[in-house]
Amino acid sequence: MTTPQIRIIDGDTVIDRDMNADELAVHKAIQDGAKTQAKAQADAAIARQAVLDRLGITADEAALLLG
Amino acid sequence: MANEQTSVPLFAASEVLTAANMNLSAGTGVPVFATTVTRDAGFGGANEKVLAEGQLCYLSSTNVVQYYDGAAWATVGPATADALVRVGGGSLSGSATTFSNVFSSTYDAYKIVITNATPSANAYSSMTLGSTTTGYVNFQSAVKNTGAYDAGFGGQGTASWAMMFAQTVTIGTSFDIVNPNLAIKTYVSGGSLIDAANNAFGTTYGILNNNTQYTAFTLTQSSGTITGTVNIYGYALS
Repeated sequence: MTTPQIRIIDGDTVIDRDMNADELAVHKAIQDGAKTQAKAQADAAIARQAVLDRLGITADEAALLLG
Repeated sequence: MANEQTSVPLFAASEVLTAANMNLSAGTGVPVFATTVTRDAGFGGANEKVLAEGQLCYLSSTNVVQYYDGAAWATVGPATADALVRVGGGSLSGSATTFSNVFSSTYDAYKIVITNATPSANAYSSMTLGSTTTGYVNFQSAVKNTGAYDAGFGGQGTASWAMMFAQTVTIGTSFDIVNPNLAIKTYVSGGSLIDAANNAFGTTYGILNNNTQYTAFTLTQSSGTITGTVNIYGYALS
């Protein structure tokens, strides 16, 4: 697997290189955060649909009720 | 300052011009004054030029060029130093881009403008300061063009601020960061969260809970890579 690349810009100096261990750790933490959020969103959508199904209404109808 | 003068001389007919006279005449095409007080005192006196429309001067106290419009002095260009001063920037590349030595004691607040940004995958662009990877608090709000957006943009954990989200569309955004180089908490606001599939848009707000003084920041993609242009400006303090 290719190591993620990072660009370092300092004034007019630009360096492109592989991420080092610290940078990879940050990259992984950000990836993990996005995955956690995506799962939370998916879980919330499933739970929301389950409630709508029990009520027998659509999401738009629910929005009308709550609006 | 060597160029500063206290009068604009007027030579009389048949007067013998000394080297000092000529040097003054040749060296001060635009007279340089220390202040508006010495400027005003430099015209109209004995052996001084009568102030007239079109006269130029430079004020070393405020670093501005002025012209006389026949009734009053006016400043050429901005009356004070630029409100926004570019301090750095460059092209985004790869999975992350670090902008070094952009925050300093010269400014307390900065505007970061991202243009023509195109991610290779649906992803967040997350921001970290220096080497700090903890203590970030992030809140994002989003709405659809048709009403509430309930997909639940939320925090991205405490390892970064999620400043931008795009689904492989080209976007632009800007955000303000306050106090990054001060020994107090850093705040950020702005950004752009764009869910093109749902016509949803939003902004992000964040705080970094420490007193570290930062000089650099990094934008990191949560997936894939990104291209685009970043310009960073400091807000002038006065």
